[in-house]
Amino acid sequence: MDERDRWRDRLAEVGGGVDQPRRICELCVELLGVTGAGLSMVTSSGNRGVVCATDDVSARIEELQFTLGEGPCMDATQLGGPVLVPDLEQHDDLVVERWPAFLKGAVDVGVRALFAFPLRIGAINVGAMDLYRERPGELLPWQLSGALTASDTAAVALLDAGSGMAAGFADDVETRSAYRLEVHQATGMVRAQLGVPIEEAFVRLRARAFASGRPVADVARDVVTRRMTFTQEDT
Amino acid sequence: MTSAAPRADLLAEAFVSLADTLVDDFDVVELLHNLSKACVELLGVMAAGILLDDQRGHLTVVASSSEEMRLLELLQLQNDEGPCLECVRTSRCVIAGDVASQARRWPVFAPAALSVGVKSVAALPLRLRTVTIGALNLARDVEADLPVEDQRLAQALADVATIGILQQRSAHRSARLAEQLQHALNSRVVIEQAKGILAERRGVSMDAAFDELRRHARNSNTKLGDYARIVVRGDLETLTP
Repeated sequence: MDERDRWRDRLAEVGGGVDQPRRICELCVELLGVTGAGLSMVTSSGNRGVVCATDDVSARIEELQFTLGEGPCMDATQLGGPVLVPDLEQHDDLVVERWPAFLKGAVDVGVRALFAFPLRIGAINVGAMDLYRERPGELLPWQLSGALTASDTAAVALLDAGSGMAAGFADDVETRSAYRLEVHQATGMVRAQLGVPIEEAFVRLRARAFASGRPVADVARDVVTRRMTFTQEDT
Repeated sequence: MTSAAPRADLLAEAFVSLADTLVDDFDVVELLHNLSKACVELLGVMAAGILLDDQRGHLTVVASSSEEMRLLELLQLQNDEGPCLECVRTSRCVIAGDVASQARRWPVFAPAALSVGVKSVAALPLRLRTVTIGALNLARDVEADLPVEDQRLAQALADVATIGILQQRSAHRSARLAEQLQHALNSRVVIEQAKGILAERRGVSMDAAFDELRRHARNSNTKLGDYARIVVRGDLETLTP
């Protein structure tokens, strides 16, 4: 079994429940060769908060960014893509000049490499995940891949937790990515049918799938082909 | 296949317009969409699609010459098998002049392609030095290998796509490939969400919804991805016809 397979199996085992975000972070530390991991959430009103962190340094990384209003996870959230800084002290990577105060604070607590991933599903913005290392170094391709699937999983977990679906409908990442076009189209349609924010539309679509014991992709197909319509009456 | 002279004109036109795009602040999905359209015009193929490695072990459709679901499905099928997947895995172009004879090689993809009238296919890698980030897929309704000169042109268009993905404006630095790739993929997801909203509000197909999105983005001088975000985040009531 190679590293990718082991990662996939272990991530699948994380399952649902309120513990899920913390367990995802712990798994990153155990398997992805990083020193610490932290998750932060942004609410629809724009407030941010630390969800969990595997150590004090990780917690400090999250807090610093909120306090200073700058840093890689802020950038990642804004850009819709990861911000990967394999060496904070290598100043020809111009990105670090965007956040001078954060940079000093992070280096002071021993951070040398920092990788920030937006928790994002299209226009749905859930928060960010930060992974750090005490030593400089790029994430290897399989580690990057692992971090991306961790952030996909964390994004859905935090959305569910925020909407009371904490019982944990852990549809696996495999299924989600294979059908992503229709699932996202269906999310948009549900948003228009119910007049709810896109976040809620996504949760409702998944809740319907969960309630009927079907894969999200199948329900999404029914919505896109107009065989299924969401109304305010059903919950 | 078009005759030599008009094709030279088309080619010049296509590259001038692509070059114009690349020096401006452009939208990556829009550029890739235009590239797919250019493939159809220049190479006389039925359809063209661009798939990117999502760095999670899948290929994702990021642009296609038509948004028709049957084409998108055919492209998406290649998560498991097909010319694009082989092309990305081997970093080489894959040419199959006779899909009908490939049933053993592609037991799911080959019949699916035939059922929508695709008789031959070609896939060309989106390559940056040693890394392959995706593939350009060409579908044709003739049973023949893509001619060698067309393969060269298709590879040139695939290279433009690669450059486009790398050249998206990022936050004050030349960002890493992985950052750019993920940004492009997420931008496509926003567009899908926006298509769904418009398709529902207007009662139109996803294809028509995509056209409307592009038209509104152009008319309001907004990048496609930014406009799609406004549609998804904005007030539904503002979506007047």
